[in-house]
Amino acid sequence: MVSKRKGDDTEEMTSRERKKLKVAGARTIAVQPPVSASGSGTVQSSGNAFAGPSSTTVRFDSMQGLPASIDVEMFTEARAYEIDAMQKAIKTAGESVTHRVWQTLPRHLRRRAASHDVRRVPLRLRDKARAEMVPVTRRILKRGRSKQGKTKQVSRTESLLRRQRDKTWLETHIWHAKRMKMENMWGYRLAVTPTEKSFRPSHRASMHGSILHDSSYHSLIELKGPENILRNVLDLCCDPQCTGMKRSMTGARVLETDLYKSGSYPFDLIAPVTIMWRPLPVGNTSAPANASQAKGSSKRRRKRKNDAPVNAAPQSPTRVIWVRSHPAVFDDIFAALQGSASLVLEAEKQRHKDVYAEVEIVDLRGSVNAFEIMGPKASQVIKGALSVVADDDRQEFKKFWPSLTDLQTTASLPRGIVIGMKVLDPRLKFPPKNAKLRMDGQHPATPAMTFPAAILAQSEIWDEEQRSALKKPTYKKKDLDARRSKNLVPGTPLSPLRQDDRIPLLLIQRSLESPSSTHGIHGWMVVVPAGWGMPFLPSLVHTGTRVGGQRERGSQAFEAGTAYFPRDFPCTEFYDKHWDERAVKEKAKWNRTPPAKRANFKKLGTRSPWRADWEVVLGLPVASEVDENLVPAQREPQDAMEVDKAPTVRPWLLRGPEVPTILAKATQNFNHGAGLLAEINRLRTKRGMDVLDASYRPEDLLKGALVMVRLKMVSRGAPNDLAIIYRIDDDEARKIIKEKGKIREGADSNEPAEAAPPQTSIIGYVTTGNMSLSRGEGFAIGAIPVSVLLELRQQAQRYGFLARGKPQLMWL
Amino acid sequence: MVRFKNRWLLVEFVDTSTVDASAEKESLSTRPLDGRLIYNALRDSVVTNFGDTGWGAVGMSLNVKYFSPLTNLCIIRVARDQHRIAWGAVTLLTSIHDVRVIPRVVHVSGTIKHTQLSAIAHNREVIARFRTKLKNTAFHHDSYDDYLARSTREIEALHD
Repeated sequence: MVSKRKGDDTEEMTSRERKKLKVAGARTIAVQPPVSASGSGTVQSSGNAFAGPSSTTVRFDSMQGLPASIDVEMFTEARAYEIDAMQKAIKTAGESVTHRVWQTLPRHLRRRAASHDVRRVPLRLRDKARAEMVPVTRRILKRGRSKQGKTKQVSRTESLLRRQRDKTWLETHIWHAKRMKMENMWGYRLAVTPTEKSFRPSHRASMHGSILHDSSYHSLIELKGPENILRNVLDLCCDPQCTGMKRSMTGARVLETDLYKSGSYPFDLIAPVTIMWRPLPVGNTSAPANASQAKGSSKRRRKRKNDAPVNAAPQSPTRVIWVRSHPAVFDDIFAALQGSASLVLEAEKQRHKDVYAEVEIVDLRGSVNAFEIMGPKASQVIKGALSVVADDDRQEFKKFWPSLTDLQTTASLPRGIVIGMKVLDPRLKFPPKNAKLRMDGQHPATPAMTFPAAILAQSEIWDEEQRSALKKPTYKKKDLDARRSKNLVPGTPLSPLRQDDRIPLLLIQRSLESPSSTHGIHGWMVVVPAGWGMPFLPSLVHTGTRVGGQRERGSQAFEAGTAYFPRDFPCTEFYDKHWDERAVKEKAKWNRTPPAKRANFKKLGTRSPWRADWEVVLGLPVASEVDENLVPAQREPQDAMEVDKAPTVRPWLLRGPEVPTILAKATQNFNHGAGLLAEINRLRTKRGMDVLDASYRPEDLLKGALVMVRLKMVSRGAPNDLAIIYRIDDDEARKIIKEKGKIREGADSNEPAEAAPPQTSIIGYVTTGNMSLSRGEGFAIGAIPVSVLLELRQQAQRYGFLARGKPQLMWL
Repeated sequence: MVRFKNRWLLVEFVDTSTVDASAEKESLSTRPLDGRLIYNALRDSVVTNFGDTGWGAVGMSLNVKYFSPLTNLCIIRVARDQHRIAWGAVTLLTSIHDVRVIPRVVHVSGTIKHTQLSAIAHNREVIARFRTKLKNTAFHHDSYDDYLARSTREIEALHD
């Protein structure tokens, strides 16, 4: 083939020929050259120079006068050479043609462009890669000037900013975009899942290693005000069942709870939130808090001040609270907090007419970055990547930091503990090394117990001025690399200078766990100021921490057995939005599939294949029904109409740490509804809210209540999302129990008839269902009405499955 | 998808001169064999025993890949559908260039890798057999102990 370009002619052979030669060379087997005929005399006679025949009927001619041992040596030497040659041939043939150089790299270092661009291959392999490449394509990559003129040049910054106009990029966006599949969610561009096949490795990392997730997109709201007022504000909004309010007020722990619309517990659940209090400065217990002066408003701040006339020194100190929540429900949460604050301030004004109280609510989205590192190795990763600033005097911190090395899992720490610290720029110490767990008996078996303390949680990250001062790191990577090149011994970490930044951060213990279960996933959340996402990320990831996206985060919650917002929260607004979008996608997929390959919902009689219709499950009238009583052209105020109409039953989700005790107390009362109502009212009054409106009947309260359940499979199989939960009656239950006993003995059992149960026995839906990797069997999280749960409990009691007051079996 | 399937024969040419020890026949040492010589002898054998049709069937794919004159091991490649013809021809081969030989087919396999592995196994067996025939095995320690140990490990690594 005549080559087109002049330069190619000078090469002796094209790459194809070179490759052929290489292959041929790899596949030949070396042959030992025979000894020349004129060798040493005695060795030559009668075939002694050869390897000899293989059969044992060879007669050693003892007339030769040679001892048998020398013959063996000669014979076997030739054979040994042949063995060697065969082995080498196998190895080279295997290695040469089947692998390109970059195929020897581990999967996370391979790059698609490596096939045509040698610069994407690590340095040590570049020569080999260059030799393997087809030479013509070497010229394709011209990173020079474009053909268009200078005026049309768009700088890289500009083009990147242009792409961000309708969505927000996280600081670590580019790093994620190269390695993960990205999607537009809730106004942000977020990573869904890594591009490599990593479902199981990510699960293994959360169980045995460490996995990181950039959760900087979660929204942050700051509340500032007198302590008692803030306490009342939170009491109105939060779940009354949460017990950690007092503990978290010192600031040593965070509180994870649900937020409702102010004053309407148990209805109008919005979302789960995390609440952090700023610890009071030590030695400054009752500082008289003056009214906070108005700060210069930045464009992104939304302030809400509610002044009362006249001034007086308030009795309780000014505190700051951070409320961290899902980005999609930010507006609802902001509105709820505002409403709550106005109610509380009104009440205060009524009570103390001369007190000047003010609550400031600030939107702090984008001012901090957060990384969630889950898994047992998280502590070692953090210890290895972060270097603490030397001038930290706190005794507790000095005890805590070394104990991180030996921490095998953060489950040993108190839940939600907060630790504030200041670290040096992590890039100075790059590349980091994990702290090593000491497995010998030299250190005490139980590490020093860390107790939550306000002084431990002190951090300057709460200070707005500090954060804004740190918004731009002083040194760029380029400058640090220049400093590094000046090192005398290459590879020494950089020593910190006075001008280097010292970054305050928060370490928060984070756990995904369900009570009475061993499948918890524990780890840390690292909160750093804005502008420092990219410097921290490579240090945290370098030692082998996996990085996960939304899918990994959701499957962590599923494996732990906890509900994940928004998937598993049936009565919230965002749940409806989320599942509506999902229903649209699933329906479209179903329509696309040919009829022979998809489930025939008409034949199966599925009532609602793509949405969980909770209204029908609860027995409520469906929203779209038109009420006959209502005359369309009526112009009367609606109140008169509503008195005549039966009050609608509102669905709500019974959720919280005290659910089992609430249900137990409710069942003690003969009328379950009244018992439930009494419990709810008790909780409401505990937090200073009025009891529920008397017009709301207890039966309706019970009717509309849903409760989250966890489902384990009896035999094989795994439920999917939106699987239907049916109720079985007594004799079927008896049959299944008998069969389950039989299966245990290993006997063959006939499969029960596969007919679909009637639609009336639908009691609920599964919100998340899958094969659970940590349990090794199918597992699901779903919801059923509370009334049905109580009936099932009675049924289980009849069959003696009730142990310690809790039903052991629930089945589909 | 059409794949060309082959059969690889591992053949050992047993030297009759030492077996027979009759001085009339020439031993292999005087006329060292060659891959080409073997190929020619095979071709003649096929034509004699199976005719021209036989050679037409087998000829395209027949190939002597490896031959070692020291150990008399030969690796021959044939297409899978005609390998019995070639096998038969190998068995019926009596002499190569007026040198009496007895071909012995040690192994047949579909890939050359397994043929090579079986050649290695064959050689190791031979070495083991020779070593057992030593009169003074207890005293005599040759360097092959370490070599065999090492090569065992390497071969185990190659086996997938």
